[in-house]
Amino acid sequence: MSMVVIRPASSGWLHLGDHLARLRDYKDLILTLSLHRINVRYKQTALGVLWAVLQPLLMMVVFTAVFSVLAKMPSEGAPYALFAYTALLPWTFFSTTVGSATNSLVTNTQLITKVYFPREILPITYLVAGAFDFAIGFVVLLGLMEWFHVRLTLQTWNLIPVLALLAAWSLAVSLVLAAAQVRFRDIGVALPVLLQVWMFGSPVIYPLSALPERWRLWYLLNPMAGIVSSCRDILLKGTAPDPVPLRMALIVTAVALPLAYLFFKRAESTMADLI
Amino acid sequence: MVDVRFNDVSKRYRVRHGSRRTGRREQEFWAVRNLNFDVQHGETVGVIGHNGAGKSTVLKLLSRITAPTAGSITLNGRLAALIEVGSGFHPELTGRENVFLSGSILGMKRREIAQKLDRIIEFSGVDQFVDMPVKWYSSGMYVRLGFSVAAHLEADILLVDEVLAVGDAAFQIRCYERIGELRRAGTTMLFISHDLGSVEKLCDRVMLMDHGRLVASGAPRDVVREYQHLVASASVSDVTDEGLSSASGVARITDVRFLQPDGHDIVSTCTGDPLRAVVDIDVASAVHDAVVEVFYYSRDGRTLHCQQSTAISGEPFTLAPGRRGLEFTCEAMGLQPGVYSIGASIRERAGAALVDWWYGGRALVVEPGKSVRGYFYAPHEWRWADASSAAETRLAK
Repeated sequence: MSMVVIRPASSGWLHLGDHLARLRDYKDLILTLSLHRINVRYKQTALGVLWAVLQPLLMMVVFTAVFSVLAKMPSEGAPYALFAYTALLPWTFFSTTVGSATNSLVTNTQLITKVYFPREILPITYLVAGAFDFAIGFVVLLGLMEWFHVRLTLQTWNLIPVLALLAAWSLAVSLVLAAAQVRFRDIGVALPVLLQVWMFGSPVIYPLSALPERWRLWYLLNPMAGIVSSCRDILLKGTAPDPVPLRMALIVTAVALPLAYLFFKRAESTMADLI
Repeated sequence: MVDVRFNDVSKRYRVRHGSRRTGRREQEFWAVRNLNFDVQHGETVGVIGHNGAGKSTVLKLLSRITAPTAGSITLNGRLAALIEVGSGFHPELTGRENVFLSGSILGMKRREIAQKLDRIIEFSGVDQFVDMPVKWYSSGMYVRLGFSVAAHLEADILLVDEVLAVGDAAFQIRCYERIGELRRAGTTMLFISHDLGSVEKLCDRVMLMDHGRLVASGAPRDVVREYQHLVASASVSDVTDEGLSSASGVARITDVRFLQPDGHDIVSTCTGDPLRAVVDIDVASAVHDAVVEVFYYSRDGRTLHCQQSTAISGEPFTLAPGRRGLEFTCEAMGLQPGVYSIGASIRERAGAALVDWWYGGRALVVEPGKSVRGYFYAPHEWRWADASSAAETRLAK
């Protein structure tokens, strides 16, 4: 029989291993809730899952029209539509995940005040749902590449660790914002603006090479810069990702994620009182 | 073996007042203070106390919804809370899908839910609609399905919150049966409830909380009685509606007392027992053709019953100056077991305005007496409808 000791919040929140062990006990809930998110996301929409395809495609068309046709943005020789899409795919994943995960605690107030489960499950399920949309968007990407006669290379396998990094970074940001949102609802209000600014601060509409060299290192402190440009390197150029941006992204994320998780767990113990 | 142990547990809440401009002040209060108790394996323990006594905090601490400020709680075995989580339902999903959803939120494994699915649906009584999105459910169906999932949790320790008020009478009976089943299976249970009747009926032991502390623990009957005295002696004057009190100064109600046949004051009675009460009134100037009323309020403030004196011994009456006592008796008090706040008023039949309105913080405790289901007891008796069956049964004896 399992014995559990419940102690004050101030003790034990640093025990990362305990948190993860408990999270593993709840894997069924993560699965069920994630399936549920995917299941209901497009319920009662006429187009259904087609929206997962349409969203990035429409963004691509708009971006191409505005930034390529009107603003003549450089695209390192690739067709701008494809150039934009390869960045929009990871970016959309990041922004929708962070957007919905930040509100995930506040929108589930009834659950949080009534039932216990590790609260990080709520943001995590939005991450999984975002991954589902990403997968559909990726199939569309394959179609686009075929259309523009850009070949996939063996380098494509490098995408797996890059995407893992993307997920990890998205989770880190989601955990911090979601926990902070419980106390300060300002976060939710400011979020759309924050994400907009963040997008312009990442090489989504322009190439990383457009940036002056002396700002580069500071710029790369934003892991989305390394992640987005690595996706482009792999898919468009067919080369291994540039090691400097990727390594920067990796270091920042490796530091941020455990800290974010601990911050979240510290906040968790009083969440039900504040929400 | 001890299944639940509270070891010097305290919980402090901070309440923030004011805005940034007026300056923020922080007030703190201890919802639970130095709480120590054990619950043995297989025991059914009730926790009672008035609102704000710390009952719900105990529940929240046990179910880990919130962490204690100091002390520790040791649990031996899997704990589940029998609460209605219809709020975890998603309106677009079907009943069946929602069973999986809320089941996993409550901590069930998918396999476990799949095994119990049929039983859960049958228990809820919504079998015909189980493949329909729950947004088309009636609120009763919604709640019943949510509760059925919780009722099928497998746990060593079960927390039962004020949930048994869910659904219609038939469903409530099913819920009590289910709790009996779990109890026989050796589940340790903690009941957190206002419903003194069911606490007394179901529990092996009852704990009484007041102001965040444990003030009594012992045999259900004794502790429930102690609680009743606590309630009756405590002032509930914070509910007083100032707009209505002491309307004119013409006459003032000073007290409403309930009496035993021998004239002693009582604070409790039983459903179906005779009730005798006295309304004490200080009359300054005469009130002609007076109407005196006594009100019974539920804890949520609804007027449940009102006794009105339009006449004394068949005659309209005048309250003459002086100290008056108006007595009424009723043969059988119809209120269900519970705690009722008492109010009283005087008015003139002709005038609409109140002469006086009283809410002195008196409570009447009604204990289980004549067994009733439904909302009230009505005095009644049974007899044979025809002479022949009366004769036959007499012979059968």
